[in-house]
Amino acid sequence: MQQYKKTQYKLILVLVGLPARGKTHISYKLNRYLNWIGYKSEIFSIKGAQQNDAQLDQNIDYELEIDPGNQQFAEVRQHLSSTAAQQLVTFLQSDGDIALYNGLTSTKADRQKLKSFFKETLKLEYQTFWIESICDDPQVILNNINESKLSRFKDKTIEQFMNHINVLAQHYESLENTENLSYIKLINIGKLVKVHMLEGYLCSKIVSFLLNLHANNRQIYLVRSCQTEYHLLDKIGGDPELSAAGKQNSQQLGDYFIEELKGNKNITLFTSQMKRGIQTAEIVGEKLGIKALKTKNLDEIDYGICDGLTVKEIAAKYPKQIKERKANPLEFKYPRGESFLDVIHRVEPIIYEIERSRDPVLIIAHVAVLKCLYAYYHCNQISEIPNIDIPINCVIKLVPIPYHCLESRVNIK
Amino acid sequence: MQDCHKSQKIAICMVGLPARGKTYISRKLHRYLNWLGYNCKVFNIGNYRREICGTECDKTFFDSKNEQATKARNECAQMALNDLISYLNGDGEIAIFDGTNTTKQRRNMVQCSLSQQCQNVQTLWIESICDDAEVIQNNIRLTKLNNPDYVSMNPEDATKDFLGRIRMYEEVYQKIELDENLSFIKLINIGEDIQIHKVKGYLLSKIISYLMNLHIYPRPIYLTRHGGSTFNQENRVGGDCDLSQQGIQYSEQLGKFLLDEFPTQEQRNQIHCLTSTMKRATHTADIVCNILKISYLQLKTLDEINVGICDGLTYTQIAIQFPEDFAQRKVNKLTYRYPRGESYLDLISRIEPIIYEIERSREPVLVIGHQAILRCLYAYFHRNEISEVPQLEIPIHAIIKLTPAAYYCEEIRIKIDPETGERKQIEEDLQIERVNLLTKKKSYILL
Repeated sequence: MQQYKKTQYKLILVLVGLPARGKTHISYKLNRYLNWIGYKSEIFSIKGAQQNDAQLDQNIDYELEIDPGNQQFAEVRQHLSSTAAQQLVTFLQSDGDIALYNGLTSTKADRQKLKSFFKETLKLEYQTFWIESICDDPQVILNNINESKLSRFKDKTIEQFMNHINVLAQHYESLENTENLSYIKLINIGKLVKVHMLEGYLCSKIVSFLLNLHANNRQIYLVRSCQTEYHLLDKIGGDPELSAAGKQNSQQLGDYFIEELKGNKNITLFTSQMKRGIQTAEIVGEKLGIKALKTKNLDEIDYGICDGLTVKEIAAKYPKQIKERKANPLEFKYPRGESFLDVIHRVEPIIYEIERSRDPVLIIAHVAVLKCLYAYYHCNQISEIPNIDIPINCVIKLVPIPYHCLESRVNIK
Repeated sequence: MQDCHKSQKIAICMVGLPARGKTYISRKLHRYLNWLGYNCKVFNIGNYRREICGTECDKTFFDSKNEQATKARNECAQMALNDLISYLNGDGEIAIFDGTNTTKQRRNMVQCSLSQQCQNVQTLWIESICDDAEVIQNNIRLTKLNNPDYVSMNPEDATKDFLGRIRMYEEVYQKIELDENLSFIKLINIGEDIQIHKVKGYLLSKIISYLMNLHIYPRPIYLTRHGGSTFNQENRVGGDCDLSQQGIQYSEQLGKFLLDEFPTQEQRNQIHCLTSTMKRATHTADIVCNILKISYLQLKTLDEINVGICDGLTYTQIAIQFPEDFAQRKVNKLTYRYPRGESYLDLISRIEPIIYEIERSREPVLVIGHQAILRCLYAYFHRNEISEVPQLEIPIHAIIKLTPAAYYCEEIRIKIDPETGERKQIEEDLQIERVNLLTKKKSYILL
């Protein structure tokens, strides 16, 4: 966060858990979230270390497979785990802020070894937080295996997987208070959560974030409010009402959603407090029989002194600002207004809302705000935000699934 | 997001032995939820018991083998619960049931009554567990000895009796277990360990986040406006102007004042200094933190209220150019929103993350802000009604020190003369005394 002082200490998040417990999924989501809110964050895993090592056979999964008799196999695994830890240290020693570690952590001995390794090699102040995912619901484990593993191993069956996991489970030791580690245990995807020795602003935030995660793949629809007079005049900002064409398009939008949602009334409709957002949402909401929730957090970016001017007028009146914006579009702040970074900060509670929701979510908002929301699900770097295309009269449907996000766009006309 | 998510009623029930901070938590939650705009009320079983059975109950009254007393206590709990249910079925939105609720039987009774007699209610159980003898002793000293039950006893006897009362409860205490199938959060040893079970929904998630940040370390919160600015001198609103000469002087005197408040550099290093992104506040923070040799955090959420189209005008000019708006603002200053700007209500929801940040902090906090923003922050910690916010007095060139304690908030206001550095303690805001209807004794407004 540009305006937030960078944390005085670095943060290491260590994942613990048997395979098919969602560790990788959690690490991806966390990593995405932390990068989005402005921290430089990266994941270091056995898999990652393996991919970077050209000498190894990339068809073997050193993370998952276990062959109790094979000493060499275990050695390679150990080596990869150490390499990942080493890369993590290098990352934090330079400009990294937060590192997520997904390596060998299943026994108390492994964990103590890791703890000592960090203590000896990291030459700056750091905090470690341990995240354990535990699952004893067979259905959930089965789902996890189906969704994530089989895409990696086409020649293995589910039974073989379960066997691997059972072998690993025999030596697995869950986190205990005696180890004196700061941790969170997520049991059965957050049905039961245990937190021990929680400290610090960032860890609190991470815990709140993790509490909201679930495994339902539900749809998220992003739509811009419809056409206004300002569009026709090429003006930016302001709080204009919908034009006649805008009202018509809203009706068509409503019709599209009636068909798309097939009578499902369990959807949440969010909009901003700006007239064009409210009007569009009210027309759509009426067609669907649901009420729109209005929040100021979804208001369009504040254009400050440029508010209400046409693009040409801004170019004439504030050439210096145009130059600054071209040079650094992400951090550029309209004088007396906001930057994209401010919008991200403002829109964060909405992300929590979307994450928490297990039913479809429909958001009717404005260009800059939607760019930031879209970036959370799709972009790896927030520097891409200014270039995202969010056309008007177009419904963007996002379905987050493990490890990435499906997208489809439909033009309404 | 005040207008969202008001569909379900919520009942929050406390669980725990006496002196585990249940009432403290209830009151903090009550403050927070009221602040967010919900109709919230606390139903304290102890108060009902004092009203019905009187205040002369010693520890034998709490013996589970004392049949007559047990019957009376159950009746009191039932009465409190009935009132709570009526409240939720009426216009109440969130009700907090503050009692020990230490047996499975009692919890089951409460849970069943709620689901049968309330329409559409979500229940959250908060269990506070503590086995640190020192903390418990401290709790007793701070909160029980002033309790109406012990008003006529000397402190030693009172403590002895109270510890005896705790033992009575301990004999029958059953911690919440998973098979009771309740939505709960267990706070163990003031948040050292936290367990959360089956918590879903917007408001419950928010409450959980809030609870995870609570602690009982008394740390001071300093609130001050930036030094006087050029706009202040001209009586203009908004803008992003710099400090006037007097403002700079105040900043320097403020720095010196804080040097005296925190004599060692080690103490100064612990201060958590927050300010806005506006010039006048940042400039003040620059000067102060230079003197203290510490750094500060700039947060856009602390920026002054956005006055939209009235930015840069004097109040007279606003009255002339926008007479309708000027009149509207006089009628309801709280909800009035400057065109293309904000209202006080918008401010209140804007500063929520700051409130979390300050609650969470176990070290002294210094906020260098602006009038409207500080009114909101002050009102939260000092437990004013939201309607009072726009009228609160936050004078310029003065520093307010708040120290939240167990059930109330201490306050000291010091005016610092910018030129001479003279410090004068100005009239302390009177702790509002309200008659506690249940005990017919005066007590400080609940915190």
